[in-house]
Amino acid sequence: MTQPLPSNVIKALSEIVGSEHVITDPDRLLVYESDGLTAYRRSPRAVVLPSSTEELSAVIGLLHKNGIEVIPRGAGTGLSGGALTTLEGVIVGTARMNRILKIDAENRRAIAQPGVINARLTEATHPFGLYYAPDPSSQSTCTLGGNVAENSGGPHCLKYGVTARYVTGLTVVLAGGRIVRLGGLGRDPYITLDLVGLFVGSEGCFGIATEIEIGLLPITEGVRTLLGIFGSVESAGRAVTKIISSGLMPAAVEIVDKPTIQALEASVFAAGYPLEAGAALVIEFDGTEAGLDLDADRAEQCCLDEGAIEVQRATDPEHRMKLWRARKKAFGAMGRIAPDLLVQDATVPRTKLPEVLVGIDDIGNRYGLKIANVFHAGDGNLHPNILFDRQDQAQLKLVERASKEIMQLCVDAGGTITGEHGVGVDKREYMTLVHGPAELEAMAATKRVFDPDSLFNPGKVLPEVEIEGGIDTPEISAIHK
Amino acid sequence: MRGHQAESLFKLLPPEVFSNSVAPRLLDALRTEVKTVVSPRSVEEVARLLKWASEKGVGVVPIGTGEHTYPRYLRGPCIVLTTSRLSDIQDYEPADLTITAGAGALIRDLSTEIAAHGQWLPFDPPDVLNRTLGGLVSSGLSGPLRTGYGPLRNHVLGATIVCGDGRVLRLGGKVVKNVAGFDILKPMVGSRGELAVIASVTVRLFPLPVEDRILVLEANDIAELVATSRAVATAPIMPASIVLDSTVNRARLLVRLHGAATSVDADQVSLEKHTGVSFEAKNIAESEHSFPQEGGRDVSEEFSLRVWVLPSRMEGLLDVLKQAPGVTLNADVYGGSVRVYLSGSVSDAESVLTGLRKDVEELGGTIRMLRMPAEVGGSAYRTNPSADERELAMGLKGVFDPHTVLWGME
Repeated sequence: MTQPLPSNVIKALSEIVGSEHVITDPDRLLVYESDGLTAYRRSPRAVVLPSSTEELSAVIGLLHKNGIEVIPRGAGTGLSGGALTTLEGVIVGTARMNRILKIDAENRRAIAQPGVINARLTEATHPFGLYYAPDPSSQSTCTLGGNVAENSGGPHCLKYGVTARYVTGLTVVLAGGRIVRLGGLGRDPYITLDLVGLFVGSEGCFGIATEIEIGLLPITEGVRTLLGIFGSVESAGRAVTKIISSGLMPAAVEIVDKPTIQALEASVFAAGYPLEAGAALVIEFDGTEAGLDLDADRAEQCCLDEGAIEVQRATDPEHRMKLWRARKKAFGAMGRIAPDLLVQDATVPRTKLPEVLVGIDDIGNRYGLKIANVFHAGDGNLHPNILFDRQDQAQLKLVERASKEIMQLCVDAGGTITGEHGVGVDKREYMTLVHGPAELEAMAATKRVFDPDSLFNPGKVLPEVEIEGGIDTPEISAIHK
Repeated sequence: MRGHQAESLFKLLPPEVFSNSVAPRLLDALRTEVKTVVSPRSVEEVARLLKWASEKGVGVVPIGTGEHTYPRYLRGPCIVLTTSRLSDIQDYEPADLTITAGAGALIRDLSTEIAAHGQWLPFDPPDVLNRTLGGLVSSGLSGPLRTGYGPLRNHVLGATIVCGDGRVLRLGGKVVKNVAGFDILKPMVGSRGELAVIASVTVRLFPLPVEDRILVLEANDIAELVATSRAVATAPIMPASIVLDSTVNRARLLVRLHGAATSVDADQVSLEKHTGVSFEAKNIAESEHSFPQEGGRDVSEEFSLRVWVLPSRMEGLLDVLKQAPGVTLNADVYGGSVRVYLSGSVSDAESVLTGLRKDVEELGGTIRMLRMPAEVGGSAYRTNPSADERELAMGLKGVFDPHTVLWGME
């Protein structure tokens, strides 16, 4: 059972951030029980919401001085349970640190606090002809701090790369509240080791980024969006391989499979995909207007060569948005066909996509489970979504087993256990599928360099770390144990 | 290395992996006595050597070809470990656009292999074709193509490394998106062999551009080209690279455009409209993709350093450099990185460096030596990381090279 924070600690926290920003009321704490992976739930002892680097540093200093574990949290949209509290943990949220501190158009960079919402950075830089490229599906709600912690991707990362490519400097708060500046545009990234690159993707286990210097790109002149309809997901997968290996460089290549199409078309996000289709492939090119039709023609031919039933081209911005909305809202649409959804995330070499998709289908059939696939096909990043009903205890066990088999299938194909959602608590047990004891120990030792007493987000990422009281809850064991 | 140490070393590995031949250029960089050169033929042999060195307290310096090794400040005799025999292509699936090769594979050989499938490595630091894959990763150098393709560090997908104490770690993987655990591969890129020996690397490849065009603008003085170069860097299109170069007879601005022929045509029109100048356009033949803007210098004789400033401060930096006699340069205008070449006597160069570090740091930038004559005390002329950064870096050094076998980090 979670113990309340001592009153002297609450008082001291209140003095730093103001009492209204220290949440201890159990009803208000409910919101912070889980992140986007709701299978894991636990109420924190308290939530603290600082507004600046200095406040956050003072909060961390106070909590660590009292031996209290800190669980960093952005918008709570993560899908791996990374923001789940430990038994003794206090959540330090960045929601109030939501200011864009600088837009430096001449150097194509911005400096933002971690609580800035991803899409807002693009909105704010749009008048300068610039935008921020990584676009996770949750971009309208997720924060840049969370993106840094998870090294987030998104559909357009095929061409433009993930978060790590764009983070050029960081101000971070480390153990004990120490404020450290790492890197920065205009400084040689190799006057020391790449500490910025190491910090990105550390899932809140090294410290908290409080100022993020981030690279921006010029808005592209034009865009072409195609929708290929295929009889099977395998032929769509082959078309993807053909497009990429032909030398084309699409901005995004996304696949939704038949169960997903049926869920989408029955929802408010319906985009006019034929219900009998086995898979739909969304392909997008961007860049200089003059070259785009040629690229789109070549991609269309690749689709037809691999047996596409039809290929549509978005005729106007509204049509394009409709095609994308269907892809981006696919997870939401699945709520119509099952009460619960386990969103998986794995990456395989692109050429292995067709055989892995057949394997996933086979796993679903063997366990009698419906699995809907939505994925970033261009970079082999799969999201097999297992649909289930948590009230059905027998089915829960099957979900657990099927999920593990899918991970093993992807690893055996030369892939990995997570492409963009992170490990969090959800995938700790799968880490041994891709890393040996020596690699895991090197990761643990690296964490100790930043966080010697393991007071930042303990129990995440690494499988061998045991937490007093455990991090498993009845809700977790419902799926995972 | 004492007599009994040498004896145990020569028992450790077969005689054919040992050599006493060290290029003068490498000795200049290492500034210490080289006891022997070892060319392991496998990861296991690398591990055996490093485990032995850590037990005996002998320093090891890993090299690729040894032609581009950074200046070191070693504290005693060392063993040189060359990756030259770890040069096989281990896995190449063209349709996946990834390749795994031994660290000693020459970029020239890899480029030939992948060009047959219409692919390339879009990195263009000087003399890139004569570097090894491991050397490139270890240096972290991307070249000006970083503008269009992003830095090398983001395209290194995996590596097999051997830590200073002989532990073999397989980091990352073969897929382009991978967040399974802390990214301990990242600090290996650019670590100059001071954390671990890189034994093999998996790197992302790119399709060769359909059209590869360089727009050239020449002038008598580089100062005449700075404003135009910055206008290109802030134009609404994204070139593959933007370079200012004064290493050949005339100062040149070189803007490289990649894409379909129609889009490259349109980009050229758009840039000329935006900058108000007409460029001379030169199409790059397939064989020249790697570094067409390099002036064909003899790299073994260079005295060079690297300066970074905010891109918007490039003009200020070039003003500073203009005051220094005997300076030529090659600048990545988009990224703010300038490779500065010094000529003249060592004392002339040292007097240039003394003022340059101060001026660069006043501009908020950094300076780092790349190559210099053995008699120059280079550590005085470089920007140091902050105390915090240094402490964290030394912590990582302790993780990967706990017995400080891989020398060089100060």
